Amino acid sequence: MNAVEYISMLLQTGLGSLAAYLAAHVLLCLLPAFFIAGALSALIPKEAITKYLGRDASKWVSYPASALGGFVLAVCSCTIMPLFASIYKKGAGLGPAITFLFVGPAINILAISFTGVQIGMDIALARVILAMIFGVTIGLIMAWVFRKDDEEHNQATNNNNLFVHGAKVPTRTWVFFALLLGVLIAGTLQVGLLTNSYAGFTLPGSWAEGFQSRLDAWVPPNPALGIEGIGVQGVLLISLLVLIGVASWFGLNEVDRGYNAWTYTALVLISMTLIVASFKVAATPTGLSVGLTGKLFAEIILIGLVWWMASKRFETFEIQQWLWEMWRFVKQIIPLLVVGVFVAGMARVVIPASWIQSLAGRNTLLANLAGVLFGVFMYFPTLVEVPVAQTFLSLGMHRGPLLAYLLADPELSLQSILITNTVIGKKKTAVYVILVAIFSTLAGLIFGFFVR
Amino acid sequence: MIIKILGSGCPKCNRLEQLARDAVAELGVAAEFEHVRQMADIMQYDIMATPALVINEQVKSSGRIPQMHEISGWIQEAQVS
Repeated sequence: MNAVEYISMLLQTGLGSLAAYLAAHVLLCLLPAFFIAGALSALIPKEAITKYLGRDASKWVSYPASALGGFVLAVCSCTIMPLFASIYKKGAGLGPAITFLFVGPAINILAISFTGVQIGMDIALARVILAMIFGVTIGLIMAWVFRKDDEEHNQATNNNNLFVHGAKVPTRTWVFFALLLGVLIAGTLQVGLLTNSYAGFTLPGSWAEGFQSRLDAWVPPNPALGIEGIGVQGVLLISLLVLIGVASWFGLNEVDRGYNAWTYTALVLISMTLIVASFKVAATPTGLSVGLTGKLFAEIILIGLVWWMASKRFETFEIQQWLWEMWRFVKQIIPLLVVGVFVAGMARVVIPASWIQSLAGRNTLLANLAGVLFGVFMYFPTLVEVPVAQTFLSLGMHRGPLLAYLLADPELSLQSILITNTVIGKKKTAVYVILVAIFSTLAGLIFGFFVR
Repeated sequence: MIIKILGSGCPKCNRLEQLARDAVAELGVAAEFEHVRQMADIMQYDIMATPALVINEQVKSSGRIPQMHEISGWIQEAQVS
């Protein structure tokens, strides 16, 4: 193979994974996940959680609250550090602050739903449960190791009522979350009730199969490397995504100032895209067969309810904040994710499978440690760790070390270690980093033992 | 009047600064702006989460972006006192 052929093959693999990502499972998972993340950020007052994290809160309240708080408050890394610093300096102290710092990045809604769809529900659940257990454990250990410092600290900042004023999350907000979560689950859950077709029709024409075979030539499916091809439906979805991007740019950038025609265009396009993605489409010699799946009906009902609630049950300002936050997450994360998926896709051809298999093909202590170290030294932007993990998986990495890597990567990038350092100092940071490394390795080992 | 925005430079914080500047311009009052980015300086104030809006050293809001009419109200209040 000469250089030109090699490069074009590289590009083709990168494009192949990108196209499959955008068109296939990702859409039904990431699109609703961004709306949920935006809602968490815009509709839940931070005080609703922080009131449990005051100086006088009992351990039985503050540790679980920090662990759960990560889910609600930490959708954006830029809120983690200020909250971490204030829980440590003014609130419940070092232990719960560390728990919050550890759990936050690992269990945010985007990361979890993305991991679940892309790599498997087992890893996603393990990531949530182990992150919570270990977050609390590491917090308790840190609080115990530095118990003397914490007491002095307690006396130094014995002031305020910062954490007491309460805030309640209204019922309508919970219902709204349930609906959004429903959209996410209905679109991604692989059960017969949702994925079966209950009726169908065929768009006649012989073009469908020809078009499909051309697509297969452009983006050849390669099951051995875990590269899926792209279908006729996928092309339609990617075009819709591009349109959404354009409409959102004009409609959502300043949505907190009011709606315009672009805003409605974008929102209608997004709803349509979710619905189009729910059809089961296949190219056949006689034409394009279209199946009406259970998930299609579920999505139509749920999206309808979301529209109704957003327009009737919330103040305009709340909805504007929600859309603004959602679009902000998209702008912040999607460009990096697109590049990440492309590069991770190309890496599948570049990295010899034998390397990964010999290093982390089995669930050993060394393999798990390698997973953790890779997570520390490679810094991937939010969510990009998922396609990277998928590349490793398709190259033959064992699921144990894979989990170790997925736990360590968002926790322990060099960058986050440096920032933590400025808040709690060198000694505490060093102990924290070592604890996280040990616990992530253990998590991988234990998980790997059970999944074989 | 001194208006401080506390925030690590995240998009929300910039948005808040822009809204506050708009409010000041709309009301036609004289105000000095300062965007506090250093974590240690931010922690001097009694806030839990950024972005926060501080008018004449009084924390008006934190952890959220207030509505335009709230911001204008605070500015007018600060002007009277």
